[in-house]
Formats: sequence, structure tokens, C-alpha cells
Amino acid sequence: MTDDLEAALRAALRPVDPPEGFTGRVMARVASAQRHRLRARWRIPAGIAAAVLLAISIYLHIQQQRREGLEARRAIVEALRLTDEKLDLAYQTVREASGT
Amino acid sequence: MDDDLAKARAGNMAAFEALVAAHRKQVFGLGLRMLGSVHAAEDLAQEVFMQLHAKLNSIDTAEHLRFWLRRVTANRAIDALRRSALVNVTSLEDEAHDIGSEDPGDPLLQRRLRALLLQLTPAARAVVTLRYQDDLDPTDIAQVLEMPLNTVKSHLKRSLSVMREGLEDHAT
Repeated sequence: MTDDLEAALRAALRPVDPPEGFTGRVMARVASAQRHRLRARWRIPAGIAAAVLLAISIYLHIQQQRREGLEARRAIVEALRLTDEKLDLAYQTVREASGT
Repeated sequence: MDDDLAKARAGNMAAFEALVAAHRKQVFGLGLRMLGSVHAAEDLAQEVFMQLHAKLNSIDTAEHLRFWLRRVTANRAIDALRRSALVNVTSLEDEAHDIGSEDPGDPLLQRRLRALLLQLTPAARAVVTLRYQDDLDPTDIAQVLEMPLNTVKSHLKRSLSVMREGLEDHAT
């Protein structure tokens, strides 16, 4: 009886093929997971690269503003110097004309 | 086989596909017998092969691969059964899947045995399926399921007794 039952169990539990297209579906999922892993692998380096680019562009922008500020200051100093010279000249002319 | 494993480990997808084709019957069959549903068994088998692909580098030989597949499939099926109230009866569709395959014996008796298998606890289902689907001896089953040998023997003895009673009740 045990032998009969065991034989019947072997027949009842024999391995069966999965539904058609199973291997293809597994391979599609594996390929999709691989793409996902690849994207995930590049996500951190890409984030770091973007952060570095952003920091560089902010630094360059600040440098540019500083240069423009220095240039403006130089222009103002130059303008003041020229104004001062002209005022001295005018003052001198007025003094000469008044004979003092 | 070892050749396909070595190639698959080196990243050859065709070799991995050959491994899936060679082991799908064993993996899907174990899932189907334990879960009693074609859909659930296919999902489980796909997950097992996905995990295999991710872990290929830790598999050394063809024998190790067979052992690994059995262990992972059985453990995943036991977890799935514990997590959810998966069916303990097979649907007509699930039975049709079995009838469609080559069948050497009495289909009604076999259907009854598969139904009785689904009445067993998850661990007992795993033990019986590994014993009669994969023809493993109790020592191998104990290793695959990380279970004491005496527990395996006791599951087998009790399961056969339950099934025998189930068949007798059905006959009367």
C-alpha cells in the first residue's frame, strides 16, 4: 500500500513545464532589472557630477560679479580723479582771473 | 551544464537562458505543488530566477545550483504560504495545466493526491514535494530545508498517513 501510494505520489507530483513563454518572460525581467541596476549605479556619480558643475558655475558667477564690482570701483575712482583734476584746474583759473 | 554556469557567471545571457530552460521544470513544479496555483507558481519561479541572476557569482557548480534553486524555491514558497492565505484547493485551470502534461497514471487519483498535498502544512508540503517530485532522500531534504533529519522523517510519515486516510475517506 505504501509503495502504491508512493508510486501514485511520484506520478501526481511529477515536474511540469511552466506556461509557454516562461523563459522569455524571465529573460525580459532580468534584462529590465539589469537596466534598472545600471541606472541606479550611475545615479550617484551623476548626482555628484551635477553638484560639482553647479558649484563651479556658482563660483564662476561670483568671481564674475566680483570682477565687475572691481571694474566699477576702478571706473568711479578714475571718474573722481578726473573730476578732482578739473575742479583744481577751474579753481586755479578762477584764482588767476581774480588776480590773487 | 557547468559550462553554461561559467558562461552565465561571466555575463553571457544566452548561457543564463539555457540555465533557466534546464531548471524551469524543477523550480516551477516545486512552486506549483506547494502553492497550488499556476499564476502564483510562475511568479515565484520568475522571482527565483531573478534572484539567481543576481547571485550567480556565489554559485560554484551545477550541483550547488540545483541545491540553491531547491532551497530558495522551497523557502520562498513556505514564506508565501505563511504570509498570505493562498488557496488550498486547485482551480480547474491549475488542474488543466497538469492534465496537459504527460500523464502515466490515474488522473483522478493524482488530482486527489495533489488536493490532499494542499491540506498539509507548508513545511510538510515542501518535504513531500522534494521527496516525490525531485526524488531526494530525507538527508538531502533536511539539508535543503535546513531542518533536522528526524523532523523530515516525521513530516513524511505523518503526511503519508494523512494522505492515505484522505484517499480512504474519499473512497468510502
